[in-house]
Amino acid sequence: MPRWLKRYGDILLVFGAVGLLRLALPVPFVIHAVIFAIYTMAFSFLIGRLGLVSFGQPVYLSIGAYGTGIYLARFGTNPYAGLFVGVVVGILFSLLIGSLLLRLTGDYFALANLALCAVGFFFFQKALVSVTNGDTGLWYLARMSSTPILNLRQPNNVFVLALILAVLVWLLMKYIDSSVYGAACLAVKGNETKLQLLGYDTFGVKWLAFVLANATAALAGALYAIYFGFVSPASMELVRAPEVIVAALLGGAGTLYGPLLGAFLYIAMQDLVSTHVLYWELFVGIMVVLIMMGDEKGITTWLKPIFRSGWQLVSRRPKITRTP
Amino acid sequence: MSSEEALLGVENLTKRFGAVCPANGVNYKLRENQVAGIIGPNGAGKTTFFNLVTGLCIPDSGNVFFQGGDITRLSPQKRVQLGIRRTFQLASVFDNLCVVDNIRVAYYQKQRAGRPSLGGMFLTELVGVHSETIDELTEGMGFANVAHTEAGGLSLGNKRKLELAMAIIAEPKVLLLDEPFAGLSEMEISQIVEMLKNRCAGKMSILIIEHKITWLKDLVDRLSVLVNGELVADGTYQEALESPQARKSYWKLIEE
Ligand SMILES: Nc1ncnc2c1ncn2[C@@H]1O[C@H](COP(=O)(O)OP(=O)(O)OP(=O)(O)O)[C@@H](O)[C@H]1O
Ligand SMILES: [Mg+2]
Repeated sequence: MPRWLKRYGDILLVFGAVGLLRLALPVPFVIHAVIFAIYTMAFSFLIGRLGLVSFGQPVYLSIGAYGTGIYLARFGTNPYAGLFVGVVVGILFSLLIGSLLLRLTGDYFALANLALCAVGFFFFQKALVSVTNGDTGLWYLARMSSTPILNLRQPNNVFVLALILAVLVWLLMKYIDSSVYGAACLAVKGNETKLQLLGYDTFGVKWLAFVLANATAALAGALYAIYFGFVSPASMELVRAPEVIVAALLGGAGTLYGPLLGAFLYIAMQDLVSTHVLYWELFVGIMVVLIMMGDEKGITTWLKPIFRSGWQLVSRRPKITRTP
Repeated sequence: MSSEEALLGVENLTKRFGAVCPANGVNYKLRENQVAGIIGPNGAGKTTFFNLVTGLCIPDSGNVFFQGGDITRLSPQKRVQLGIRRTFQLASVFDNLCVVDNIRVAYYQKQRAGRPSLGGMFLTELVGVHSETIDELTEGMGFANVAHTEAGGLSLGNKRKLELAMAIIAEPKVLLLDEPFAGLSEMEISQIVEMLKNRCAGKMSILIIEHKITWLKDLVDRLSVLVNGELVADGTYQEALESPQARKSYWKLIEE
């Protein structure tokens, strides 16, 4: 097997499977799930690699969405430019917010993010109403121009773009895992003081991770903005804060496949349950409790043995026995 | 000898925690390549002394000097970059990284002249951080079999050895060891003593806090006794143990 296939074979397999899902499942579902997976990967990196829990992720998602939305509603028409603006706004916002919030630790960090989300909601709904149209939101689907390649006015192409971006984000996470920087992130999670006493700038390590993760969340928001063709403050309502946490923990935080799996399961459940049950949020709450009773690695802890034995069943070769 | 001549020095160092005064006008100077021990009863302020020197704790008054410069207000991280490294009384390693990765992270900082940049860290593959010293130390500490297990699963003795390895791989100018022998078997202690003698003595200054005093005998060329935040004796191993003040305030406690 060539080296690149060994290294990246898994990703071809996984995202190939996602591509195939697109043929079998409704387009809105797969688009939603893939974009949500990007959002979840970003959060999973924060919690699993850095040990930072944030209850305010919708604000980073929405900053990206509004960056794109305001650009497309008021300035330009090219959706790719809109996407770019959304991500840049996300980067600038997390640079600024990170420099403030990262001085807090543990629960305070989590709660400060929650507060930030509430403040953000107020701004986009009330304070900036002349720019954002308040609850009505901004509608610009008709304004978006067509592009010669991968025309984003067609949902199919949004899916392709989202899938490509999800692969890139996944590759970035995988690369970080293998770098000294990835080890430094884990070291911050495990024992920040010790890392400091090895001469590392731990604030810088956290800041970069914060910006990477939340710019990725902004990217997801920007993709939503292009797919839906409108933005409204509903995306940063506080009740939406747990969803990304549930999805990340469902699949297993800090693992590579976990966020993908968690995102798909979550969106699937949301679609199925919310059509039959009025109080979908109640369902989410119960799920949070169940997940918290497990550990950080989520359902992958009990899925792995199942997959492994399944794999052994199909790949069984009679002569080779492995001694432990 | 003035502070300017000593490698590391403290002057009139004082620190209070409410009614407790673990550093009460301490004056101490450590010369280049000196191997010195500090002993004293529980709660005497030995660990606090290390905290003050490494910047984890800011003194109420007094100064800390290193290589002639005043470092009293410097951040812990800056002091490490100057070449001061320590170990902790409760061995402190990265439980969620494997043994070699712990050593690699410690070594990488040294490789980058003490100041690892974010860009450098991002662009360097972790497995690419290797050297003969890493292999030697992993081998010498007996880590060959556990090199790829998470450090959190190590025995206390192995954690201590790992932390020591992480400190000496950076070839610091001053090495501060807080009870390096606690919880170790005789075998492990003599292994560490050998390691310190062969690898560190003559290349760096070493300051060792220990309760297992006899192990210091062949190791240190100076011994100080700290009681209630004050240095009550300072000299050779023999002198310190026989000093009347030390006998009065420390040995009495033990002999009773
Ligand atoms: N951060 C702190 N806050 C309050 N009190 C402290 C703090 N650090 C140390 N102390 C107190 O200062 C005194 C000296 O503590 P220190 O840890 O320096 O003693 P030690 O000589 O290292 O003792 P041992 O041999 O038990 O390790 C103790 O009474 C301790 O409770
Ligand atoms: Mg102590």
